[in-house]
Amino acid sequence: MPPVDSTSESKAYPGQSGRLPRRQVWRWFAFAKRSLGTWGFVLNRVAGLGLVVYLMLHLVVLSLLTRGPDGYNAFVALAHNPIFLLLDVVLIAGIIGHGLNGLRVALIGSGILVRWQHQMLIVLGVLGVVLLAIAAFLVFRI
Amino acid sequence: MEPRNQRRGGLGWFGQAVSGVLLLILLGLHMIAHHFVVEGGLRTYQDVLNYIRQPLVATVELIFLVVVSFHAMLGLRAVLFDLGLNTVQEKWVTRGVTILGMVMVAYGIWLTITLVSQV
Repeated sequence: MPPVDSTSESKAYPGQSGRLPRRQVWRWFAFAKRSLGTWGFVLNRVAGLGLVVYLMLHLVVLSLLTRGPDGYNAFVALAHNPIFLLLDVVLIAGIIGHGLNGLRVALIGSGILVRWQHQMLIVLGVLGVVLLAIAAFLVFRI
Repeated sequence: MEPRNQRRGGLGWFGQAVSGVLLLILLGLHMIAHHFVVEGGLRTYQDVLNYIRQPLVATVELIFLVVVSFHAMLGLRAVLFDLGLNTVQEKWVTRGVTILGMVMVAYGIWLTITLVSQV
């Protein structure tokens, strides 16, 4: 896992660097001396936290199904609003970014393609942009 | 022999990686089945009921919920741990995310059963 602070190690995942000094999450966003891999690490965590929040919201929204067709179909109609569709694209960007970068981290952490990690970051980045463009097209076409 | 917390950390990382790869497949299926091949992008109430009543679909969706909850709670735990908690705080965080994950899965099972049994 790319380091946030090269002198520290993740407590949750020993052997992986990235642990932050106590209560200094803001350091994730410090611009000085950050490598591309570190930004990948920061993106993964920020997107992951966003996706956890979305997962909770998604489960809450699904509870509308228990209120019968009126409640749920009203939500479906609201979800066709362009602002909702734009938020869908942001969500998909988070999923694709987190998923592909997570795959990169898992491969490198397993000792696979370690020498090619920068090339992999670029390839997966391009793949992510292509997938996002296709998804955005499908979202707005619908 | 590796210290106990290091073995746990290694297991946590392994669990996160394996569940993450599984999620790429399950989430991909979920997005395609629920949004991209559905006219209008979202199933209506009756369409959701018809869809979830298929045993294979209900099973896959529940497996998806278990895997996504596991992955999300393990990730949340890792982020919280890396803030620099002490041992007692870490134990509470582990208990908290375990309970939260179990509540999410239990809620999903209840919702699925409720929907499948609706007339």
